[in-house]
Amino acid sequence: MATIDTVTLSVINNALINICREMGTAMMRTSYSPIFNEGLDFSCVIFNRRGDMIGQAEFCPTMLGSAQYAVSWTIEELGLESFEPGDVVVHNDPYRGQCHMPEHMVLKPVFHDGEIWGFVANIAHVGEIGGMAPGSFAADATEVYQEGLRLPPIKLIRRGEYVKDVWKIILSNHRTPKTSWGDLHAMIGSLGIAETRLLELLDRYGGAYLTAASDHLLDYSERWMREEIRSIPDGEYRASDCMEDDGVTDQPVWIRLRLVVRDDEVIADWTDSDPQARGPVNATFVVTAAASYSGLLHLTSDDIPRNSGCYRPIRVVTRPGSVVNVRHPGPSVGGNTETHPHIQNVVVAALSQAIPERAAAAEGASGCNFLFAGVHPSTGEYYTNYHIDGSGWGGTAFHDGDSAMCPENGNCRNTPVEVLENKFPWRTLEYRLRPDSGGPGKFRGGLGSSRILRVLAPEITVNALMDRTKTSAWGLFGGGKGGRGGIFVKKRGDTRFRTFSEAFGTVSDSKFTRVVLKEGDEVKIHSPGGGGYGRPAERSAEAIEHDIRQGWVSREAARDLYGYGE
Amino acid sequence: MGSWRQNTAQWYEQTMLYCELCGKIIPKKFWLVKEGSREQIFCDPSCERLYQDYWVPSRQTKA
Repeated sequence: MATIDTVTLSVINNALINICREMGTAMMRTSYSPIFNEGLDFSCVIFNRRGDMIGQAEFCPTMLGSAQYAVSWTIEELGLESFEPGDVVVHNDPYRGQCHMPEHMVLKPVFHDGEIWGFVANIAHVGEIGGMAPGSFAADATEVYQEGLRLPPIKLIRRGEYVKDVWKIILSNHRTPKTSWGDLHAMIGSLGIAETRLLELLDRYGGAYLTAASDHLLDYSERWMREEIRSIPDGEYRASDCMEDDGVTDQPVWIRLRLVVRDDEVIADWTDSDPQARGPVNATFVVTAAASYSGLLHLTSDDIPRNSGCYRPIRVVTRPGSVVNVRHPGPSVGGNTETHPHIQNVVVAALSQAIPERAAAAEGASGCNFLFAGVHPSTGEYYTNYHIDGSGWGGTAFHDGDSAMCPENGNCRNTPVEVLENKFPWRTLEYRLRPDSGGPGKFRGGLGSSRILRVLAPEITVNALMDRTKTSAWGLFGGGKGGRGGIFVKKRGDTRFRTFSEAFGTVSDSKFTRVVLKEGDEVKIHSPGGGGYGRPAERSAEAIEHDIRQGWVSREAARDLYGYGE
Repeated sequence: MGSWRQNTAQWYEQTMLYCELCGKIIPKKFWLVKEGSREQIFCDPSCERLYQDYWVPSRQTKA
């Protein structure tokens, strides 16, 4: 391997990161749906021709981890020889290395000097892909076929020309084909930008040199991660958590981890987890692997270059047919949004026993997925939307948890009230932080939010897939639990909010589909709070007084939970 | 002693082979280990190694 100085390596690493960032900006600015242009629910990556990820940026950890598998599967299934200049492949199959059905990957080969040098790709949440529920988040699905249109790796574009038969099949199976058309073109357009920038880099350095440099970066990242792991005491650390129900049966589903640290390697062994659930909280192997990586990356240096190299020392062991490795044809749409953060939190909880100073208490760990569809009274057009709300993050050894943040697995943004109301027939009556929802502690858990929406159309069909409405984010080292979340409905004329189970007879309070609301009905979404870190009695008086002034902690809670002002 | 093999299923068949250690579905190529009449499928030699030096001593047989 050629010798490359560290300055040049750093320049090349940053160039690869910047290409990914530019792809993301292009997608944000050209997409049609709020989950793209407001939520930023996508990730952009660069791969070498062997299928190693050599570039990524600050996108969704769940997609970044799973991209490793989706891209390498695609290369292996199709074969390098099948790619031609100008091709674009699409792929969303959870049984072929993808994370869940809505996440679509598009991938383009980059040719240099007549041969494939590597690939540019992105994974993004396509907001409507058909299936049994509008918005394709079927919280009561019992098999993958109910979750939307499943696409193995196939060409959307061949040698720069649309493969129209494929497009027709896809758009005929999506409820909002115009939006899918726009979002898929935002994804494909960003590939074009990445291809241009990567070719500039290849022309500047040459293919062989850039390959050598990216190989150096992969090895460097691996060495750094191994050094980080070596600093964690060897041992076996256990932790567990549960999904409160699966949307189909009202039973908890347990995730159990034995995490073994031995020298410079971590083994995340999930085989003691429950059998796969009937409902869609199952994670694919890829989701479990991505969550395991993400947990470790939260506890190690921020400066490790994010590429396939840093994943190498992290080994993931699962049992097919379990909640952490669903078998065909099990459903898995919630596994990527809800189970993923639970898995990641369990990794952090296990390692909090070894490296307490680096750990965090549990986060709200729910995307509070709320999907709705209908005919807009102003336009007469059918719409769907995938809406997420942020929850509280856990306190750490040195600061409070962030409030109302998308779970750590998503790293997404919320949708501003103005955008929501402009595009869809809802009126926002309330959107605020929920006092006392952050777990008490020396460092308090982040607060959840409260949002109340009123229906402005004759009817809107809604679906939800949430968790932590019966369970709570745990605290660490004496810290208290975070407040539970919930989703409630007040029918027009009612005097109080009720659960959807009470009002509509859904099996689960937090996971349901195809509930039809009428004009004037209201929905209230409470996102869960994060757990606290350390004993509340150790929280400074200044911090408590500040919380009271901000309205984050009530005087009663300050007295009862912190012993303040007694 | 293991050897590389390829899933010979046709393109129209949906077969799912799982790695004995990590549980990942295998796209095409896999590492086959034969011990007498017993055959074990792994992603690659590193999964076989982890099976031998982690799984067998600590967990014996898979649940």
